[in-house]
Amino acid sequence: MIDCEEAMRQLWDYLDDELTEQKMAAIREHLAVCQQCYPQFDFERAFLGAIASARCNQRASGALRMRIRAMLREVGSAEA
Amino acid sequence: MSDSGIPDGTSDERFTQEALAWVDDVYRFACSMTRDEADADDIVQETYLRAYRSWHTFQPGSDCRRWLFTICRNVFLRVRERERRKMDVATDAEFEALAALHTATRARQGGYEDLFARLDLGPAIEQAIAALPVVFRMAVVLVDVEGQSYEEAAAIQGVPIGTIRSRLFRGRRLLQEALLMHACDAGFATAAEVRARSDRSGGTLMSANLHTQTGAKRHSNSHSALDP
Repeated sequence: MIDCEEAMRQLWDYLDDELTEQKMAAIREHLAVCQQCYPQFDFERAFLGAIASARCNQRASGALRMRIRAMLREVGSAEA
Repeated sequence: MSDSGIPDGTSDERFTQEALAWVDDVYRFACSMTRDEADADDIVQETYLRAYRSWHTFQPGSDCRRWLFTICRNVFLRVRERERRKMDVATDAEFEALAALHTATRARQGGYEDLFARLDLGPAIEQAIAALPVVFRMAVVLVDVEGQSYEEAAAIQGVPIGTIRSRLFRGRRLLQEALLMHACDAGFATAAEVRARSDRSGGTLMSANLHTQTGAKRHSNSHSALDP
């Protein structure tokens, strides 16, 4: 069983699913029984969810698309 | 593909179908680096020029979006080289993870446990990300916003995974600090905390309720409460 410090040290790796299955399981087990660490997990999970949902809807403008297409045509015909 | 390596007609069609399809993503990534739409336009155009010229090196079936992000990042760094100062970005990921613990504890004790469930936090998050130093911003955008793995983000940035991890964790901690400050300024403390403060002033310590949203990156609501 891992202790709180080890669990918290790897909490972000756990939330990012970047640990081995063994380590993932160890942290999952710790969180299931540790009342101190679970709120931390919950808070960080909400934080990452908020960041992910902040993905803006910026889109390339029509002018930029036209610029790229014109450039590609020009380069394509010059280098062909 | 012609012998010269320049895309021929068929290859042009593939380029249009596969590479141009990602122009919004590349533009968004460029904006996150430049924080300026006109600069982002120039970088995206240069990215597509380079991509077009090296289309013959692209492995069919591999991740075109990641390939374009890598080119875009290189274009950005080259453009920025003139003004770039070498930043000391040596960070300790373990330290950052534990430091974030204090930030989160402070946030919860201050009545901000529901902070990240607020629907009106979006603009503040965008501003906080834009205010991050560029190396931390790129790590956060690639992993947390664009959903790349540590390995993929490291490949795009051309750095070891450990470096990405350190930058990511530092970026996240800076974001949490900035958002907590924003919450304090905006008076986001919960009713539970207001009650707790009131009780504390009367000598009783009351724990705040913990309600946070679920659904972080790569996390499905169908998972159990302990799944990441």
